[in-house]
Amino acid sequence: MRKFVIRRLIHLIPLLIGVSLISFFVMHLAPGDPTQLFTDPNVKPEELARIRANWGLDKPIIMQYLFWLKNAVRGDFGIAYMINRPVTEVIFGRLPATLLLMISSMLLTLLITIPLGVLSAIKKNTWFDNFITVFSFIGMSIPSFWLALMLMLMFSVNLGWFPAVGMYNPLLKNPDFVQRFFDVAWHMVLPLLTMTLVSLAGLTRYQRAAMLEILNQDFIRTARAKGLSERVVLFKHALRNALIPIITILGLSLPDLFGGAFIIETIFAWPGMGRLGVMAIFSRNYPLIMGIVVLSAVLIVLGNLLADIGYALVDPRIRYAKK
Amino acid sequence: MVIILLLSGCSAEKEPAQRRPIVLPKLSQADPEGRLILPLGGEPSILNPILSSDSASSAVEGTIFSGMVRINEKLEVVPDLAKKWDVSADGLVWTFHLRKNVKWHDGHPFTAEDVKFTFDAILNPKVNSVRRGDYIIDGTPIRFEAVDKYTLRAILPKPFAPFLVQSGMSVIPKHILEGKDINTAEFNRKPIGTGPFRFKEWMSGDHVTVVRNDNYYLGKPHLAEVVFKTIPDANSRLVALKTGEVDESDIPPKDYESIWKVPGLNIFEYDALVYTYFGFNLKNPLFTDVKVRRALAHATDKNQLISLVLKGLGRIAHCPMSPVSWAYSEGVAKYDYDLKEAKRLLKEAGWEPGDNGILVKEGMKFEFTVLVNQGNKEREKAAIILQQQWEKIGVKMNIRVMEWSAMLKIVDSPKDPKDFDAVIIGWSLGVDPDARSIWHSDQYPRGLNFIGYDNPEVDRLLELGRTTMQKSKRKEIYADMNRIISYDQPYIFLWYPRSVVAVRDRVGGLLTEPGPTGPFLYIEDIFVTK
Amino acid sequence: MKRFKRNKLAMIGSTIVGALVIFAIFAPLLAPYDPSRIVDSDTLPPSIWHPFGTDDLGRDVFSRALYGARISLTVGLVAVTIAITIGTFFGLFAGYFGGLLDSAVMRFVDVMLAFPSIFLILTIQVMLTPNIYNVMIVIGLTSWMGVARLVRGEVLTIKERQYVEAARAIGADDYRIIFKHILPNSSAPIIVAATLGMAGAILTESALSFLGLGVQPPTPSWGNMLMDAQAYLIDAPWMAIIPGLLILVTVLSLYFVGEGLRQALSPKEEIK
Repeated sequence: MRKFVIRRLIHLIPLLIGVSLISFFVMHLAPGDPTQLFTDPNVKPEELARIRANWGLDKPIIMQYLFWLKNAVRGDFGIAYMINRPVTEVIFGRLPATLLLMISSMLLTLLITIPLGVLSAIKKNTWFDNFITVFSFIGMSIPSFWLALMLMLMFSVNLGWFPAVGMYNPLLKNPDFVQRFFDVAWHMVLPLLTMTLVSLAGLTRYQRAAMLEILNQDFIRTARAKGLSERVVLFKHALRNALIPIITILGLSLPDLFGGAFIIETIFAWPGMGRLGVMAIFSRNYPLIMGIVVLSAVLIVLGNLLADIGYALVDPRIRYAKK
Repeated sequence: MVIILLLSGCSAEKEPAQRRPIVLPKLSQADPEGRLILPLGGEPSILNPILSSDSASSAVEGTIFSGMVRINEKLEVVPDLAKKWDVSADGLVWTFHLRKNVKWHDGHPFTAEDVKFTFDAILNPKVNSVRRGDYIIDGTPIRFEAVDKYTLRAILPKPFAPFLVQSGMSVIPKHILEGKDINTAEFNRKPIGTGPFRFKEWMSGDHVTVVRNDNYYLGKPHLAEVVFKTIPDANSRLVALKTGEVDESDIPPKDYESIWKVPGLNIFEYDALVYTYFGFNLKNPLFTDVKVRRALAHATDKNQLISLVLKGLGRIAHCPMSPVSWAYSEGVAKYDYDLKEAKRLLKEAGWEPGDNGILVKEGMKFEFTVLVNQGNKEREKAAIILQQQWEKIGVKMNIRVMEWSAMLKIVDSPKDPKDFDAVIIGWSLGVDPDARSIWHSDQYPRGLNFIGYDNPEVDRLLELGRTTMQKSKRKEIYADMNRIISYDQPYIFLWYPRSVVAVRDRVGGLLTEPGPTGPFLYIEDIFVTK
Repeated sequence: MKRFKRNKLAMIGSTIVGALVIFAIFAPLLAPYDPSRIVDSDTLPPSIWHPFGTDDLGRDVFSRALYGARISLTVGLVAVTIAITIGTFFGLFAGYFGGLLDSAVMRFVDVMLAFPSIFLILTIQVMLTPNIYNVMIVIGLTSWMGVARLVRGEVLTIKERQYVEAARAIGADDYRIIFKHILPNSSAPIIVAATLGMAGAILTESALSFLGLGVQPPTPSWGNMLMDAQAYLIDAPWMAIIPGLLILVTVLSLYFVGEGLRQALSPKEEIK
């Protein structure tokens, strides 16, 4: 087991180099550069050229990349343009908000999806199953931003139950942990709901299909034939195996969570990394973009790794096969 | 959900809402511990006035820092940190007499040394300040001297009228930043200024909070706290206004009617210092003939544009200066909507209708592409409308919506001729009417004169306008200049938009008839009730 | 094939998709107005003259929806074709030849998968001018990875089958084996992936247009119609509901078709 994990972690290195290399070059191929965003009519072009030189943008691209790489391996991702703070500081400032939303969303999704999918499979072709099926399909087809706007309209404007924007109530005076907790939780409801509903639908479908497949398999029939009660069959044997695909899919959907998070973060003004990333791309903030891409890659691979570990824990076959 | 939406859609009546007058609370009702929440359209990049160039950062800096002078609602320069100032007879030496007993937020006394330090920092090539060019006149930097603790002298290489406005640059503290690398100083996240509010906290991506500076030299501000919330999406800002999560929001034209129906708001309207225009690339053979440009101006139904795009919230523009500026004058060439005249001019210029109605001249079709930046719905709509308006005279215009950075790259590139045919874009004007960087021929191809305008008389007037100190004389100079430019029509001037701002009625201290700076003039005068 | 016909949902799905395709192809004949023409000075709710109402500029939404169908469906089709082609090639060769090639390809797939796809798409889109061709290519270039893995898996299984061994025994060369034997037999999951991929591509196009980096106005696509509608959610909800509903119905139908195909083509679920 340990060797498995270590091997995967080692694979991370060439992966990161590949990711960073591709990002760097693609980024620099984009027309325009960061100095062009100083749009004040009174800014003279010599000033822009000077600033460009200060940022090292006049050196050849390969040199810029190697320079970046040299610092990156020591954990120094440089200074973000315009913001003038270390990239790591900027990103870590926004990371908690994104992680909070994503992890909550994943947990909530799992909590709802597994029972729904499993039940759907067990009660195949009943009205419950059909209802869930229709609901899943609809959910998979809704554009997330549309859902976000609808939810905001309904729950914030019309009903006034939840705040529409932001993560904190800035007027809260010196809140203690509990107050702060509820403050953030209240602000998180709408974005969380949007993210979860969107991923819920597809995953429920998947869980159902996976459960169905397991139920058809030989070892289940054997267990039934042995006379074990239906409950034991379901929970002891089927369920454990049905969890496998869901964990894989969850792992695979991490990159999309980052992406979808951006749209939701913009609409709900949630101070996360998604918004930061897109702003960085639009403003050609190269150091920031590189930092975010590398960090996302790391998180995604780690997520997959965790998924694989979870996989191994749940399926004894894999665990023993690795020995 | 769809049903709810349809129901709410149907309930929106089509009769115009009643216009209420503005009712502001009285100062006697002010809450001494009042808090104001303002929205920002973007996250501030950095809280250092000499480094930042985005409006979000400026909005926050405006409460924390102050400069020697500031602007009032009539766009006049009034004293701030400087009590008075004078200029030598030859216009080269400016002397500012500063207030005594002003303290920085950390208690340290403010002196002329801080002002000198600020300008020296801006002029320092190692500091990434975009303002540097403002203080260099024809290649020579302005020299700043702290004559004594409360007197600052600026020595200019030649008389320069815009300097007064530029002297209002926010001052940064010498005792904190001296000897440090200003670009990356910790100060930029935890600023200290001399303004009416002190920095309290910055929750990255979410909000910035400033609190009252009890020792503010112009008197204790009424508000205890001001919060700036970052809300990038325009609709979300409106929603936040309705739910009470912010106290103010700009209102785009499409929401103008419906905002009057929302209770608890005061609606302010005013003219800002901006104009939107259609810019010709003057090096493009299609547009070199002034007759063609005038023809297209005549073929533009500006009234239709304003009514469709701005829902009537704007005025027709004829020249590169806004009517709210003191330098504005009538007496410029105006091109009324006249299709016959347009066709006549085009014929005179040698253009004849070819097959499918498109004009042709010497085998060249009158077809081109206009660039519009993505994200600005108004300019997009203007392009679509112009496309259809100009079809009537046989001009085929294609529209290309481009991402802002990519568009800037083309428009600002040092190539000659540049790779675009035309743009629809706007200018946000400075308080001083000097617009040399936009119109002077040496500002092409590097500079803001990206259309390639070259008129020696205008060049001369631009120079004269800057070096003449007397306002009345400057006004005459600019009147001449604007007349010439309007005859040349290097742009088709489209409109001056009318700004609409909605503020919750708990906010007082606002201007009932705002100038171009809006209903919030000085933050220390603002208060809230309850 | 019969199994497919028996699946009610799949049949409904195919009918809808078929109808949409016909509408799209015949849009110029069916649209009552030119989609870019301003036909009214106001934004009108649905009525007899304008079955879907008019938009913020006064253009007929029904006509725009028809032309938008062309764009969205074409983008979906071409993007998924690109993705399938690339993915299948990679998967086939990696699976068949194995060894170093396999490792290299799979590493590359891992790298591509580690990118948050939205960032990659965005970066590429700001690099090129967003237009319909770039959108199709970009979506295709960033969604082939799943297909590659799928195909590779199939190839690994099929490789060991008897008819392949037989073909090799006769002395058929590799390419023949790959294209004449392995590919046709692994086509089932590819077709399913194609349907699902098309649905995904349509959703991605709408998200890109929402950001302003998809098909550019004034050319209508369901995605950029949603972007325009965003600001009018309360005042003119039909502007958002129509394209949203169209996307939903199209994607839904494609899912049904895909599901139906999967059930029809896979032998396993038949046994119960």
